[in-house]
Amino acid sequence: MFITALPTIATMVGTNRTLRGVAVTSPVGEPSLGAEDELALRRGIVEQAVAMLSTEVKPRTVWEART
Amino acid sequence: MVIKVAHYINQFFAGLGGEDAAGAPPLRLEGAVGPGKGLGFEVAVTLACGDDYFGEHEEDALAQLLRWLDEEKVDVLICGPSFGSGRYGYACGSLAREAARRGVPAVCGMHPESPGVLAAEGAAYVVPTDAKVTGMRAALPQMAALARRLAAGETIGPPAEEGYMPRGLRRNEIADLTGAQRAIELLLAKLAGDVRTEVTASFDDVPPPPPIADMADATVALVTESGLVPQGNPDRLESNRAHAWLSYSLEGLAGFEAADWETVHGGYGTSVANADPNRLVPLDAVRHLVAEGRVGSLHETLYTTTGNSTPVATAAKFGQEIAQRLRDAGVQAVILTGT
Repeated sequence: MFITALPTIATMVGTNRTLRGVAVTSPVGEPSLGAEDELALRRGIVEQAVAMLSTEVKPRTVWEART
Repeated sequence: MVIKVAHYINQFFAGLGGEDAAGAPPLRLEGAVGPGKGLGFEVAVTLACGDDYFGEHEEDALAQLLRWLDEEKVDVLICGPSFGSGRYGYACGSLAREAARRGVPAVCGMHPESPGVLAAEGAAYVVPTDAKVTGMRAALPQMAALARRLAAGETIGPPAEEGYMPRGLRRNEIADLTGAQRAIELLLAKLAGDVRTEVTASFDDVPPPPPIADMADATVALVTESGLVPQGNPDRLESNRAHAWLSYSLEGLAGFEAADWETVHGGYGTSVANADPNRLVPLDAVRHLVAEGRVGSLHETLYTTTGNSTPVATAAKFGQEIAQRLRDAGVQAVILTGT
């Protein structure tokens, strides 16, 4: 699956499992958070990625980040 | 005929700064700014937005830009030229599409491989340009000429004749030669080295693979186009137009240390990523999930390249080659990260 802050481009070229990343400059990071909170955020994103890999999806599916 | 023109540009051409200003929200400026001054007619209003801002807040950015456009009642919108830029091109194509669908003819200028061409969805006209900004002098008059004709309500002929990218529209017409005769002509031309087509190919439609039954049993690989490489870039990965993908061992690494890794990607601001490369490829988080038994195992090789101005055919080849390696290694799933 693909983690990117630009999921529309991914979908346009036919990517089937896309998860919206945090930002262009840091798809799986958030520099405004402290180290501990940022790791927790990154874990959460990877957990969603893992969930997406084990979920049946329609073509070109995009998941938004869990808040 | 005096026409009323709006011009869309990004943060760089608006003079706000480079990557440091890529997060700038939409901005409205009077008259022509930057390249707009070279269009050859009076620009009523210039609209600008940071490339990252547009990509990350597309709905809000479009709403604001379209609101300003609506207030101006222009005859035509010109976007760019954005050349080889991915994010800028995407913003131009998207804004042009929405404007055109609301009755404002729109012209963009960008390299044919830019994602903005697809984003325009055939609603707006895209003039093909060079990949580099050195193509500015050639691009502006071509875009201006097309914009003038659109503003005047003229009918525009087929792409090949008029110098814009095919819009995916089909108009029925009677051809001089039968399909069989035209096919033979295309074949003879191809044998002589001139490859032409009457129908443009689109991207593959690959059905989604079935889900993995239990991730606790699966081997996952990490792949990235973010340009992440060991510090010093020992294999000289390019910052754009990468000619190859590379692989590096992850054995013994709990995460990426800033001292040992860097990104060489030339398409985005890299300081945030260089301060903590796990922000590009979530190695530390994946290690935790493996330790907790949520993921079976991590494939101990990172596959990396720079996805910046990569021709589509090259990117497809990289993908196929990496996928083959992963299949041969028994990997079941991939987490790919992109910038």
